[in-house]
Amino acid sequence: MPDSAPLLALREIGHSFGGLSVLRSVTFDVPEGGIVGLIGPNGSGKTTLFNIISGYIHPLAGTIAYRGRSLARESIQKRGLTGLVRTFQTPQVFEKMTVLENIMVGCAKLTRTTMLQDLLRTPAARGQMREIYRRAEAACERFQLGGLRDLPAASLTAGQRRILEIARAVVGEPKLLLLDEPSSGLNAQEIDNLREWIVRLNEQGITVLLVSHDMGLMTVARTVHTLYFGEIIASGDMAAIQRDPKVREVYLGV
Amino acid sequence: MASLNLQRNLLWIAVALAVWAALPFLVPRNIADLLVFTGIYTIAGLGIGLLLGHCGIVNLAQATFYGLGAYASAYCTVMMGWPSITGFLVGAVISMALAYVIGRPILRLTGYFLALGTLALSAIASALFFEWDWLTGGTLGIGGIPKLDLLGFVLDRPSRYYFFVWIVAFACMWAAHNLVDSRSGLMLRAMRDSSTAAAALSVDLQSLRTRVFVVCALFGSLAGSLFAHHVSFVSTQSFTVDRSITFLLIPVIGGATSIPGIVVGALFITFLPELLSKLGDVHQILFGLALVAVVVLMPDGLMGAWDRFRARLVARGGSDA
Repeated sequence: MPDSAPLLALREIGHSFGGLSVLRSVTFDVPEGGIVGLIGPNGSGKTTLFNIISGYIHPLAGTIAYRGRSLARESIQKRGLTGLVRTFQTPQVFEKMTVLENIMVGCAKLTRTTMLQDLLRTPAARGQMREIYRRAEAACERFQLGGLRDLPAASLTAGQRRILEIARAVVGEPKLLLLDEPSSGLNAQEIDNLREWIVRLNEQGITVLLVSHDMGLMTVARTVHTLYFGEIIASGDMAAIQRDPKVREVYLGV
Repeated sequence: MASLNLQRNLLWIAVALAVWAALPFLVPRNIADLLVFTGIYTIAGLGIGLLLGHCGIVNLAQATFYGLGAYASAYCTVMMGWPSITGFLVGAVISMALAYVIGRPILRLTGYFLALGTLALSAIASALFFEWDWLTGGTLGIGGIPKLDLLGFVLDRPSRYYFFVWIVAFACMWAAHNLVDSRSGLMLRAMRDSSTAAAALSVDLQSLRTRVFVVCALFGSLAGSLFAHHVSFVSTQSFTVDRSITFLLIPVIGGATSIPGIVVGALFITFLPELLSKLGDVHQILFGLALVAVVVLMPDGLMGAWDRFRARLVARGGSDA
């Protein structure tokens, strides 16, 4: 895919917190349809970079282009509407809402109602709500959450929360899915399931940017960038990364 | 089983409707008057309940919108000689516009700061109601506001006005229920549980909060106009910061997430002071104690306590069987 423009292009991204530089000249592309991984030890700036891409933090330097357009002025919500959706290192489920309702929130953005329509329960508002319900129900089945659909999300295990968070993101039809440490808190079996999910979603046309320090999960990525103290020190496929002497030195400790 | 439940529910609704329809004829005039106030306070309280229960916003400015509705009705009917409906409409439009203009900046605040922001709005509005006596009549107020007239049927007695006010209150409760049940309601609950995640799913927090604030102002203004036509006289004393605090108590006492809870809260603040006043000077202290007791012992209001009580009964019934 080198001839087509990348879905996401980061150029010279730099950021610091109170004089402490956390990202320096980070430059890489996420090609459309790809799975790109980002590894690095704790504190290497992975989550900061994610917060920058998803709009929670504005970078002090550099540019981000999504589908060829700068994201500099786009709010978190706007980015979501254009198909850029993220998950969080600690799954952020809506605890008091049921599993089904959580997923319904994920596809609410695909419909539009005014508050007046909602107050008066007009046929349009009811139609939109039915549509949201139908999509969420289908997603519930697809992600094997059907048995849990009426339980409050607070009662789920860490693994179920992770799947719920991904289901909720995917139901909104993202083009680029940003997964922040999706394997943290999961057991080996759950990580295997997660890997399968990522591959399957990618086959369905969703581009994935994956942050993790789980080397096993990273094998799904076609390209992996290694972040160390805010700088990219190596890029390539996982096998090449694992052989890279710099990575072995700073990351694997050998 | 389902049809049995439905039948039982329909029976309950029929009984409640019969009691509601008979009530103003069975009680003395002063109680009918209090029931009218309960309806008016229910409408004002519904908006605050939506903000408090579904957005986590403490609104201490409802007396402002209540006042705008009341003065709009007074000014349009008494000063301009226009039909009553114009007062309702002018009040609603001004209140909603003000809520939008003020809401956009102050709803960026959260928690105590936002509560203080709304308190400031109430204090400023209360001062302006006093200062702008060319519009509001100042402390002398505006008197002679006509009773409402529905196609020649004058609502001049509490027992008549009761039906009108409560039909409006039921309509507002229906609208609030719709809102909670709708796409907007879904996003509101998401925002309350985790605003960070809601933003990632493209829920526009700022716009949603502002729109609910505007709906709250609309309910406040509607209640104010109904109040003006009920008492026929409005003056600054009715729209002070104290009144805003009383309005906030409605969802706090009744239960902010429950729509019937708002009616319970409105009954509490209209009837309890009246009942306690028979005990003489100590009545304000007793009312204060009752308030503290409800807030401390029932953090999710009387309705929340009732739901918990019922759940316990069901659990006990289940274990017996």
